[in-house]
Amino acid sequence: MVSLAQQQPIQQSFNPYTENGGTILAVSGADFSVIAGDTRQSEGYNIQTRYAPKVFKLTDKAVLAVNGFAADGNMFVKKVKQRLEWYRHAHAKDMPIRSIARLIQTMLYARRFFPYYVYNILGGIEEDGTGAVYSFDPVGSYEREACRAAGAAQSLVQPFLDNQIYFKNQTPAPGTSFPQHLPLQTVLALVIDSFTGATERHIEVGDGLEMYVVLSRGSTALQSLQSIRGVQEITATNDGERVFVIRKELKKD
Amino acid sequence: MDYNGGSVIAMLGKDCVAIAADLRLGNQALGISADFQRVFPITDRIYLGLPGLATDVATLYERFRFRVNMYTIKEGREIEPETFAHLVSSTLYERRFGPYFVEPVMAGISRTPTGKIKPFIAATDLIGCLNFAKDFVVAGTASQKLYGVAEGLWEPDLEPEDLFETISQTMLNAVDRDAFSGWGAVVHVITKDKVVTRTLKGRMD
Repeated sequence: MVSLAQQQPIQQSFNPYTENGGTILAVSGADFSVIAGDTRQSEGYNIQTRYAPKVFKLTDKAVLAVNGFAADGNMFVKKVKQRLEWYRHAHAKDMPIRSIARLIQTMLYARRFFPYYVYNILGGIEEDGTGAVYSFDPVGSYEREACRAAGAAQSLVQPFLDNQIYFKNQTPAPGTSFPQHLPLQTVLALVIDSFTGATERHIEVGDGLEMYVVLSRGSTALQSLQSIRGVQEITATNDGERVFVIRKELKKD
Repeated sequence: MDYNGGSVIAMLGKDCVAIAADLRLGNQALGISADFQRVFPITDRIYLGLPGLATDVATLYERFRFRVNMYTIKEGREIEPETFAHLVSSTLYERRFGPYFVEPVMAGISRTPTGKIKPFIAATDLIGCLNFAKDFVVAGTASQKLYGVAEGLWEPDLEPEDLFETISQTMLNAVDRDAFSGWGAVVHVITKDKVVTRTLKGRMD
């Protein structure tokens, strides 16, 4: 036993953050939005659970996907939902998605010097009925885009989306042009391909896939959606926008 | 590994293989050359890609050239792709505790004893651990991106022209998301009786 006087000082440290893996992805169409995420939650090489949702319905026109530090993510979603409820009580309507996007920016920047360690992707329907995707960094920088991947397999998925959604490095046949917006069936197929690809090559991605589809009032994508097996409607209001969720299995190894 | 940047990918097709590499040579974030060849012909139907530290790329290419020449003289025949892969592996493992900073990728067509042809791809890590894949192999600073795009675009039994399109799209879209790779690319498609080499224009930013 060493006497107290001879003992060296021991530095203790507490790390308030962890990285919980997983990947999220959102794509907007002309009159719909798809917001997807896998359901694996891990810490290092350990899988904590095979079902931890990362995608949450906020209103009938907005769905939020959260990736990074799961504890921060869940807390952040809880606080956003609370602010949206207060808005409903004050204004007797759901907050428009562009306003939710700005709200998320201020909420994230409020924690500029002790940030929520999360990447957010907000998808849904704009007030004019068009599909929208907003992506954020952990301190609130945001941008509206047509598609965005985030999380562990962002580097695997984003270049694939650049190619298949923005048609990057492709030239249209003479006299033709590439579509500005893709049909829902194509988007869903690309989302599934992105996640099966990421599952194959990334250890933190897998187990399950949740795809939320938000349709605008009278969207023509409804027929192609209803033909999909296992689609579940989770619309809450009669505002016209409709929300669906499609669940799929991913490889568990 | 990302001091000079650069990426290579090889893909298997139906009786054909393809290997592609970018043309960037950098000094950290500063671009130096848009005409840096990192893929080398070893025999008429074996190509070797060497992404990694540029000084080691040059040194290793010369060592492989020497050892393949010695093999050709001693054996009196051309080296087979499988044999060459093991030559690469053992050359790198000789430097197990002071390695060359390269991750070789090779593509070729081998002849079986019955006279049939077999397309072949392989890659190793910097100390020579071999990976014989049945689909595609990637290496370099854009390797993660290459994995993601290739996993989405590649399919079995592609004909030479379709394989060229697949590997080119994979390469271009992957390097456009990588700061250390890009500045154009080169693609070699190897079939049993010819090799087609094309240089691709890419984004220059």
